[in-house]
Amino acid sequence: MAIIREWLRRIGYLLRRRAMEDELLREMEAHRVEMDDPRAFGNTLRLREEARDAWGWNWLDDLVLDMRFAWRTLRHSPGFTITAVATLALGIGVNIGMFSLVNGLLLRPLYDRPGEVVGIYNRQTGAEGGARGVSYPDYLDLQEGTAGIFETLVASSTTFVALDLGEGPRRTMASAVTANYFQLFDRPLMLGRTFTADEARLGADGRVAIISFALWDRRGGSPFIVGRTLRLNGDEFTVIGVASKGFTGTGIPGPEIWLPLGRGFDSREAHELTVVGRLRPDASMDTVGPMLATAGRRLEQAFPDVNTGYTFEMSAPSRLLFMPGPSNRAVNTLISLVLMVMPAIVLLVACLNLADLLLARGHVRQRELAIRSSLGGGRGRLTRQLLTEGVLLAFAGGAVGLFLSGWATGALAASLRPVLPAAVDLPDLDLDWRVLVGTVGFSLMASLVFGAWPAWSLTGRAAAIDLKRRINEEGRRLGSVTIGNALVIGQVALSVLLLACGGLFLMSAKSAASADPGFQLDGGILVEIDPSLAGYDETRARQSQLALVDRLRTIPGVEAVTIGSSLPFSSFGDSRKVAPAGLAQSTPVDSVFSAIGRDYARVLGLPMIAGRDFTEAELIPGASEPAAIIDDMLAQQLWPGESALGRLIQFADAEGTGAGRSMRVVGIMTSVKHSLSNPRPFPHVYVPLGQHYEDVMTLQLRTANETSAAEIVATIARVITQVDARVPVLRLQTWRDHLDTGFDTWVYRAGARVFSAFGAIALLLAVIGVYGVKSYVVSRRTREFGIRIATGAHPRALVWQVMREGSRITAVGIGIGLVLALGAGQLLQGFLYGVRGFEPLVLVTAPLILLASSLMASYIPALRATRVDPTVALRSE
Amino acid sequence: MMVVLRVLVRQPLHGYAIAQRIRQLSSDELSVEEGSLYPALQKLLVKGWVKATWRESDSGRQVREYRITAGGKQQLEAEIGEYRRMTGAIDLLLKEA
Repeated sequence: MAIIREWLRRIGYLLRRRAMEDELLREMEAHRVEMDDPRAFGNTLRLREEARDAWGWNWLDDLVLDMRFAWRTLRHSPGFTITAVATLALGIGVNIGMFSLVNGLLLRPLYDRPGEVVGIYNRQTGAEGGARGVSYPDYLDLQEGTAGIFETLVASSTTFVALDLGEGPRRTMASAVTANYFQLFDRPLMLGRTFTADEARLGADGRVAIISFALWDRRGGSPFIVGRTLRLNGDEFTVIGVASKGFTGTGIPGPEIWLPLGRGFDSREAHELTVVGRLRPDASMDTVGPMLATAGRRLEQAFPDVNTGYTFEMSAPSRLLFMPGPSNRAVNTLISLVLMVMPAIVLLVACLNLADLLLARGHVRQRELAIRSSLGGGRGRLTRQLLTEGVLLAFAGGAVGLFLSGWATGALAASLRPVLPAAVDLPDLDLDWRVLVGTVGFSLMASLVFGAWPAWSLTGRAAAIDLKRRINEEGRRLGSVTIGNALVIGQVALSVLLLACGGLFLMSAKSAASADPGFQLDGGILVEIDPSLAGYDETRARQSQLALVDRLRTIPGVEAVTIGSSLPFSSFGDSRKVAPAGLAQSTPVDSVFSAIGRDYARVLGLPMIAGRDFTEAELIPGASEPAAIIDDMLAQQLWPGESALGRLIQFADAEGTGAGRSMRVVGIMTSVKHSLSNPRPFPHVYVPLGQHYEDVMTLQLRTANETSAAEIVATIARVITQVDARVPVLRLQTWRDHLDTGFDTWVYRAGARVFSAFGAIALLLAVIGVYGVKSYVVSRRTREFGIRIATGAHPRALVWQVMREGSRITAVGIGIGLVLALGAGQLLQGFLYGVRGFEPLVLVTAPLILLASSLMASYIPALRATRVDPTVALRSE
Repeated sequence: MMVVLRVLVRQPLHGYAIAQRIRQLSSDELSVEEGSLYPALQKLLVKGWVKATWRESDSGRQVREYRITAGGKQQLEAEIGEYRRMTGAIDLLLKEA
């Protein structure tokens, strides 16, 4: 209390300082007048100063003075100021930018009071039981059975839909959710209302939708959107609400549309829902497990055919949409740390660079400091002055960095989008204040330490002597040059590290792009269609698919056309467990499943090893005996050493097309790979189109190599419109483009881009560092160069000398950087494709780039050395 | 500062009077630069141990009169106690050694 009152009084003094000083003066004068000998009173000026000191505000006056002075000094050396601020801004900007992204995607809780929110999984009992989703009827029973522990228990299922806003359908993601879904979050909708229980009841057909903020914003952000309609998969839906900004629901990235769960989810066998619940505040953790187990057992007894062997388990809710398992906070933190290493290195380089600049500047200002110290400027006072300059720089850098960070986050997020299969919403990538404070604090420290150090050392001993003979202190000068060199070496080493990592990813991207997928890429064209989006039923869709195959085949330049339900090297695939028919004891083989048309092997350029292609008759449902083509890999695993041709197989899966039905193997095809990161081929099983129906199919065309891809793509688009203008084409691209936009390739490309960008920034900073130190050294040695020119030294010899010294520190830095790069290469091995961690090309190129840039950076100061006028240089003493 | 507070305990005084009083009481032993009284008074004001008011003096001049506060009395007692303990300890040391 006393302290607070004391401070209030002090603040009172600060606010009324003019009046207070006036009072003090009057009082002291009155005293002096009374005295017989006024001289015994003492020095009034000094005493007033001391009295003011008691108020405790002198530091503030000094600070204001220092700030003004620092502002003037910085303004008078714009080159230095701009470089220092830009250096800091880059370091701070990339850190905040990257962290905002990592924080939004991986770290920041999606829910308020996140500790109460858990994910519920339907797990197979037994040692290595897998998890599956929950069916809607099971969810409803679960909700009823666990009402005592869960405040809210929600379910959702995210799928692709065709969205038509009046400009033709496009593919996007939609989540079907329970009526209480939005209650899980403490974020009200921005507009409209949530779903009613009736709209989301089992079997309901609620044609209402809530759209995301981003979709609403992109479409003009009309406040009257509620009540308008949009078309989803050909049906009309009424918009009833708009979600709040950055709302993604239970997964990242979020969908563009939320629909009421109901239609199409009535089956107890459709285990497709993700269940998330918020525990009651009074629920004890110990009761949750047994309660879930009881609910699981009850469902097992009531519906043994679908639920036998499954129980409910609680764990952390999944976070990323494409990783549906329980999310692991430790793993997310680890990924975040790995991602944060790059910007952290850039910040480190930036701070080293700043230290360089400040050191060099401190020495340039040696004379000024010496004069001020000889005029009575105290050591602490001068140091504080330089510190103030550092603080000002750090804050200016922080401000510009903040501005840059928004841009950096945007750029990073934009580079994520192309790989996502549909337009989606990312969560708010807001600035995290802790990071801002952290990075600014870090650079503040750097600027303080390296800004104050020269001041302290320069204002120390014999400032006056220094004023006269400032050059002669060889020892001290060498000392500071050594520190400057060490800083440059550090920067060069870190730049080599980042550039080398960038190089490794670049090579990965290149070798992934030129990887042999196991089939003929060139001349391959893909057309993805979905006739159901035009409102076609299965019969009509099948007709349309076959008609398109027939018509496309007649285009000149097209050699063969086929159609298939799944595609190698795509993010999504279908699989079946294949076993020999009738042999119950054999273990089924997990195989990629696809329904295909004729000529599939021909289009991919794969030879048939044995047997025949499917017949036209087999493309029509129910027309002939069930048949299948398998690849030689599956054949080897099912019947090792024997011919599989003519044998019967069946699918061991409980659900899905053809479950339990025998199919005769009519052909054996060559194996293909299915993903780049997993170079091993995967077993495949193909059934004719007639045995399996799928809405979304991909037409695959083989064209003669001499035809131009762009031309034929245009022709194909035109022909499809002629055949049936209503069938939406979801994708029309060459096989090569498909590979290039795949997830695997994206990882390498993104790695290459991010590392190269960070590497380039580090390189730029290192070059500035080299330049700064060299300029400083040259300016310090003006006299030496002057004498040498006067005594007839050739300018080229001087240039050579300066550059040689420059390349020496660069070489040391490169050496250290190479060792770091080798270590990093080992660590990154698992992320790379077709590249070793030890890659000579990268290990040679990265240092060469640095060497060349650092030579250029020291060339300009070297030239300056030769322009020294000997008379000026000597007279300056 | 202890001395200034002690002088003010008996009655409120203005600056010149405080200086005179200290000189009288200490028989000129403690007389230092009289002006250094003012930084000390400012410290006491900030701490809240004295309060100051302007009033007309007996000689008709405007003077600032200082009055000790309750907090100031407490502080004085604490300081005197501390001082007694100190001198007591030193006395003891000088006698016994």
